[in-house]
Amino acid sequence: MKEHRKAISRREFLKVAGLGIAAAGVCSVAQPALTQTALAAGVRPRAKAQTKEIRVLVVGDPFQFALEKVLDDFTSQTGIKVNLESLAYDALNARLVTSFVSQTPDADVVTVDAMWTGQYFDNRWIISLNDYIKADSDVNLKDFIPEVLYSLNLWRGNFVSLPIAAYGQGVMYRTDVFEKAGLEPPPTDPDKATGWTWDKYMEIVKQLQGMEMDDTKLYGTVIVGAQPVPIVHMYTQLAASRGVRWFKQFPEAPWDFEPTINSPENVESLKFYKALYDLSPAESINYVWFDAGTRFSQGDIGIFFWWTPYFYLVKNDGYMSGTPSKIIDKFAVALLPKLKDDAPQVISNGGWSLGIPSSSAKQDEGWQFIKWACSAETQKKMGLVKDYNYQFSDFARVSLYQDAELKAIYPYLDTQLKLLQQGNGKIVRPPMPIYSTLEAIYGLQINKVLSGAATAEDSLKETDMLFRNALTGNFMLPYKLESYDDTLENARKLIDSLAA
Amino acid sequence: MAGRLSSRRNLPYLLVLPSILGLLALIIYPIGFSLVNSFRQWNLQTSPVPLGFVGFLNYQMVFQTTPFLDSLRNTLILSVAGTFIEFWFGMGIALLLATQLKGTNAVRALLIMPTTIAPIVAGFLFRYMYYEKGGLLTWLLTQVGFPVPPQGLLGSSTTALASIALADIWQWTPFFAIVLYAGLLSIPEDIKEAAIVDGATGLRMFAWITLPSISRTAIIVVMIRFMQLFNMFDLVLVLTRGGPGTASRTLSYNLYQEGLVNYNIGVAAAMTWLIVIIVTILINVYARVAFRGWEW
Repeated sequence: MKEHRKAISRREFLKVAGLGIAAAGVCSVAQPALTQTALAAGVRPRAKAQTKEIRVLVVGDPFQFALEKVLDDFTSQTGIKVNLESLAYDALNARLVTSFVSQTPDADVVTVDAMWTGQYFDNRWIISLNDYIKADSDVNLKDFIPEVLYSLNLWRGNFVSLPIAAYGQGVMYRTDVFEKAGLEPPPTDPDKATGWTWDKYMEIVKQLQGMEMDDTKLYGTVIVGAQPVPIVHMYTQLAASRGVRWFKQFPEAPWDFEPTINSPENVESLKFYKALYDLSPAESINYVWFDAGTRFSQGDIGIFFWWTPYFYLVKNDGYMSGTPSKIIDKFAVALLPKLKDDAPQVISNGGWSLGIPSSSAKQDEGWQFIKWACSAETQKKMGLVKDYNYQFSDFARVSLYQDAELKAIYPYLDTQLKLLQQGNGKIVRPPMPIYSTLEAIYGLQINKVLSGAATAEDSLKETDMLFRNALTGNFMLPYKLESYDDTLENARKLIDSLAA
Repeated sequence: MAGRLSSRRNLPYLLVLPSILGLLALIIYPIGFSLVNSFRQWNLQTSPVPLGFVGFLNYQMVFQTTPFLDSLRNTLILSVAGTFIEFWFGMGIALLLATQLKGTNAVRALLIMPTTIAPIVAGFLFRYMYYEKGGLLTWLLTQVGFPVPPQGLLGSSTTALASIALADIWQWTPFFAIVLYAGLLSIPEDIKEAAIVDGATGLRMFAWITLPSISRTAIIVVMIRFMQLFNMFDLVLVLTRGGPGTASRTLSYNLYQEGLVNYNIGVAAAMTWLIVIIVTILINVYARVAFRGWEW
């Protein structure tokens, strides 16, 4: 006997499926609308008192190792246990954004990159610390380097974080190589830096290129070439120091994000960077942050400029290896060159800060941790941790740069302070809302010049066009939202008012 | 009576209803959500929630702000060349295994190993082997006279994509070998004997007996690997991050950059749909050609 079944016709199936898709579509539109309503209503978890454990998410950078060593002090002082978790840069941002978007509480204190401050604060993912700072005079806000606070921690007149590791960029060079070549050491004091220009720097690099030292053939310098983020970190320092700006007007009000990236200064800077690459190991086109530092510590590089943590990291033969490098007592640090003697210097201030997510239910405890971790006492203890040949001198407080004990371990602190005081992170890498998108475009285009796939002129012309497309597509050009007059002067006023 | 008939008529629908609901929740909803997002301005850098419908602006931005066409070109080169090379290397190994040489069992066990390694781990392994100073592969290539670029195999735009392909070939050729070997074992002995009696040997035997006999297995496995290669991401992330320039950037890496680095959900969704459309077209063309004459 043959069994007969009623087949579902194609039309009937499409009807059912169509209804389902329509329902899904309605749900997909409705869900964000509900989220928006909840946000507008200001639904936030309230802080609970007497909590004894907090979760802290930090990025895996050198400061994390020193912080871990002194963490017990915080628990013994406050009774609050700390669950510290370390993540890589990309992973940390992804984890935080996922947590914030889904409104799922994750950590009570988070590491915030200066580039994320605008995004995190404008999206109400992290809270303003102004009230906490004002209520706690022992924060000693006036002890911080204002240029660091301005570059790393302030957004639209709010402290959104406090610095736990402050970086600038400076020059590292081989003292023995300079001596052999009969070169004057580069200056360490801005008042005695006449003639210390990028042209002079290039002259030195060329002179050192190919020189023999202890049976090693030297490269004049080393650059960072990996796209998109690492190359932007190094290149923008060079470019900003040579007068390049990203936009017509930012951070001063009114904000105007008309790109100024395709300027004659930038074309010249990019050609200069390519020339530096030609005097570097060819493989440095793929180098990320630590590759350049590690290469210098291997002993075949004459001079280079990079983030200030490398002032101590190059003392190891590998990244945080703990084994002394062959150049540990054969290098010194110096100021970054300028375009001309009378040109203003702009240092790329960066680093890491701690902020409190709005989703945390333990915001008061989180604030206690931030206050403790960023205090002069804790920072000094971190600097005195002996591991990895003493690896933490990224202080954001002026008082620590005058500390005799720390200066004995880190003899370059005077120079480092002067670098940080010349810093303006908001000019070098503007932390505007779609910075990551622009950084990805920029990094790719600079890398193309190094690889020979494009000329400096063509690359910047394309960068300009891509910037415009991204800015227009994200409604940043023309900018119609509220601006903030984000100047160092206003930052100083805010610091004064909160410290009063 | 009519009620009973009606309920019997509805029974099949009731039985498939849970499956349909599950399908809607797990497949249709995310797809629909992503389609809707591709028409909305939703960039997590500027707003945690979508800001409204923007028509085809996100699709326009895929081409205007990301190296989509470069990525597409690299992806196609990688997918076609990778699948082709892996197939023929795999076929060669499978034919060797089928000859039942001494030690075949040990080789079979070894062969499966690369495919069990996570691609990200394989990536790190090759990264060290490609290292400019003393990397095993760099050294070997130098020894045989291959002109290794001064910036390293991963740092040169002429070798970066090929270096990624090589790592993938190392990892996935055994997959072809094992699947095709299984296909070879299923060829009836009497067909082979008949062909031998008719005078078929060597290449003729392979072209007229072996290959047609395992064609169905081969067609399916080629399609699967092509789709996997089209989604190549892990090795790119670990080995080159798409560089230098866009020399080794693939569509999946482009998507990662837009979605998980730039957090532009709208543009990432538009890019996803463009990729889906491209893959669907390619697979349909392949299926129309390869499955011609198949009985389903």
